[in-house]
Amino acid sequence: MAYLEIKGATKSFGNFTALNGVDVSVERGEFFTLLGPSGCGKTTLLRAIAGFNDLTSGDITVDGADLRRVPPHQRDIGMVFQDYAVFPHLSVFDNVAFGLKPRKVPAAEIRTRVAAALAAVHLEKLADRLPAAMSGGQQQRIGLARAMVINPRLLLMDEPLSNLDAKLRIELREEIRDIQKQVGIATIYVTHDQEEALAISDRICVMSAGHIEQIGTPQQIYGNPQTRFVAEFVGTLNRLAPGAATDTLVAGLGVKNAALWAIRPERLALAAPGEAGVAGTVTRYTYLGREAHVHVETAVGNLAVQVANPGMAAVSAVGDAVTLRLDPASLLAFDADGKRIGAEP
Amino acid sequence: MRLRLNFWTIVAILTWGLLAVLLFEPVGSVLITSLFDKDGNFTLANYGTFFSQWRFAQSFFNTLVVGFGALAGALVLGCTMAFCVSRFTIAGSRFLSLLSILALVSPPFIGAYSWIVLFGAGGVVRGALRDFGINMPPIYGLGGILMVFALKFYPYVYLMVSGALGNVNRSLEEAAEGLGLTPWQRVFKISLPMVFPAISASALLVFVLAIADFGTPRLLGRGYSVLATEAFAAYSAEIGSNFSMGTTISVVLIFVSLVFVALQRYMSRRNVYHGNLINKPTRIRLKGWRNVLAHVVVYAIGLCGAMPVIVSVYYSFRKTNGPVFQDGFALQSYERILFNLADVVTNSLTFSLVAVLLIVAAGTIVGVLVARRTSLNTSLLDAAFMIPYVMPGIVIGIAYIAAFNTGPVVLTGTAAIIILSIFIRRLPYTVRTTATALRQIAPSLEEAAVSLGYSPFRSFLKITVPLIVPGIIAGGMLSFVTAINELSSSLVLYVGSTMTMPVRIYLLVLDGDFGTAAAMSSILLLLSGLAVYIAFRFMGRNEQALL
Repeated sequence: MAYLEIKGATKSFGNFTALNGVDVSVERGEFFTLLGPSGCGKTTLLRAIAGFNDLTSGDITVDGADLRRVPPHQRDIGMVFQDYAVFPHLSVFDNVAFGLKPRKVPAAEIRTRVAAALAAVHLEKLADRLPAAMSGGQQQRIGLARAMVINPRLLLMDEPLSNLDAKLRIELREEIRDIQKQVGIATIYVTHDQEEALAISDRICVMSAGHIEQIGTPQQIYGNPQTRFVAEFVGTLNRLAPGAATDTLVAGLGVKNAALWAIRPERLALAAPGEAGVAGTVTRYTYLGREAHVHVETAVGNLAVQVANPGMAAVSAVGDAVTLRLDPASLLAFDADGKRIGAEP
Repeated sequence: MRLRLNFWTIVAILTWGLLAVLLFEPVGSVLITSLFDKDGNFTLANYGTFFSQWRFAQSFFNTLVVGFGALAGALVLGCTMAFCVSRFTIAGSRFLSLLSILALVSPPFIGAYSWIVLFGAGGVVRGALRDFGINMPPIYGLGGILMVFALKFYPYVYLMVSGALGNVNRSLEEAAEGLGLTPWQRVFKISLPMVFPAISASALLVFVLAIADFGTPRLLGRGYSVLATEAFAAYSAEIGSNFSMGTTISVVLIFVSLVFVALQRYMSRRNVYHGNLINKPTRIRLKGWRNVLAHVVVYAIGLCGAMPVIVSVYYSFRKTNGPVFQDGFALQSYERILFNLADVVTNSLTFSLVAVLLIVAAGTIVGVLVARRTSLNTSLLDAAFMIPYVMPGIVIGIAYIAAFNTGPVVLTGTAAIIILSIFIRRLPYTVRTTATALRQIAPSLEEAAVSLGYSPFRSFLKITVPLIVPGIIAGGMLSFVTAINELSSSLVLYVGSTMTMPVRIYLLVLDGDFGTAAAMSSILLLLSGLAVYIAFRFMGRNEQALL
């Protein structure tokens, strides 16, 4: 039995079903991410684990013990909030020490543990300051230290980086990852940012409309999506336009019942002159430094091509005639229900 | 969980009980009394009298004239000052807003009397002008009332509109500029529509305050009667006192007030633009005569508004012989208060402090109830708390007489009735500010405390309470200002032993003893100023909170 076990989690608000029979299990020390668009139920599930909103039905157990029977303040679960929830009237030190007081930790030990937690998030110099004037990144570091210092059984993070700017987001997500690995605490992380989820997680659970689409490692989620939803939500996807040209292209693959054919932009390339492939015309060229996106109108639809390391000279102009290198084996097929055909299990 | 639910249910029941006894019953009594004649038979005759007698129709019309006149005057002064201060660099703008605070917290109707001292029949300024051969008419009548109201109420408009002007994103005006609008067009097409909600809300507030004001028309009117003075006259006439007529006038006054409060609520809700403030408005430094003009205008408004305060402080130190002022300065007026009227000061302080303690205790608990236990019950409660806003003080006074003169609880002539009347009038403010403060605290703060091992109740005590306490203390201080300056309901409810400072000032002014009145006003002003200072210490300088 896994460390955290959730079975048949269901939550209804009136007629609306926010969670519909969700099963999740998380191992000790695992970094587990709930990924999905807003309204998919990820935050509802997290808050049910924390105890702020109870489930309508279902079981949550930690280490074999039923969590739903424990009131939220006795669950021993650390939580990091999207809006930081740093106590504005307490100093940084007192914020972090706050959770140690009801645990009756001796004063001397509080000092050493808080100092260690603050050092881990690089805030040791600001211990006596009030958090009000601090940056979002610093406030979230306080939130993180405060949740970790109590040595909780589980660490929950509700979109902790979504209010920070892009650069800080990357910096802090790596710090979170490092600290989590050092402490080895089972962590449930909620986000709607697919890149963040891929970068930080041991395993990802992609959710949509209250149910689970797929659970797997970042590599499995990106490289082997089980459903059209996962393939579209994580990364970008070129959809081939249905028609004679597409039928010809996929004829050799022997797949029946495919409702949709698609391919990732990085699986396409601009062919060398004279090379055979799919002919088309450039409709847009976006230069991004380390890569460029070329949109090409072809017989199988308008396809985006990701070109890595575009050289100074490799500039396509709108209207240029180009040929695309397209390996039919890279195509993804989905049936009418959005299930992937021919996925590896 | 079950126990907490019970606690809040008890609070809700107690609150409704409190409202029933202190608000619904008195107001109901007013309504009922107006519908019965002296022998206890149901009749609409009082309303018939009201609408058929020329005198009442006249005072009804006068009330509207005074209301709209005060509204117009305060709008002109307040908007001018708000626009100048928030768009131009004005030297000493903090001093200016101090002047507007002085006008705001100055004791009621002392304004009227100070203007009489300057411009009345024997007015100082008028006399001086006469020496130069300039004859100006005395200040009495409608013109005087409107002038005093405009100067007394402009700070409401100024504070609300300058707050709104400070929130107009500068980019909007720049965008209009980029689209080729002239500066005047920008003001009328962009800035004005953006602050219109604040303008209309403050204008209607001025209207409601003006028609509720009793002291100013009483002192300056000289026969220009309004509903508030008519109600008091009907109630207090020694011969042929007509209590049911007084209540009838009160009901009409409530109704007029209700219409405009409803309008104000409606106006302040719609058309509220929440822009981002990435590009804050900047102030332009005017040059040459424009700069001089702007300074002259705003300082003239500010000084005229604070003139009553300046006059009363000055005259409080003048040497007197009986009620007549002599040359030179002395502390006689203060001595007279110290030796003869100390009990009045003590009364005022005791009543206000007790009322404020009750207001803070009850207001905080009910505020938590309204903010945290949202249900039909609490939103009804929220609505019920609007009633005291609508009630002019004179009406509350008459209502309390109607309710507590006979029957199971007789309170007339006690200190309790004055304290309770202040309590019920100011309670809604504290409930509202507490509820607003609570709604501004992110729920995640308490959740964080719960996740760290504190029970919900302890989380509330350790996190939420410390965060709202400064606001509660500040609100209490501002309630103290209102409480200690309250005149109109106390005037109806006082007896010799429960006289308060504003009532005493009013009587002193009627007796023509302006030296003592001025000294007492100065003491009142000092106490109010102290309370405002403490409030600002706790929540930062925030003039908006005075509204």
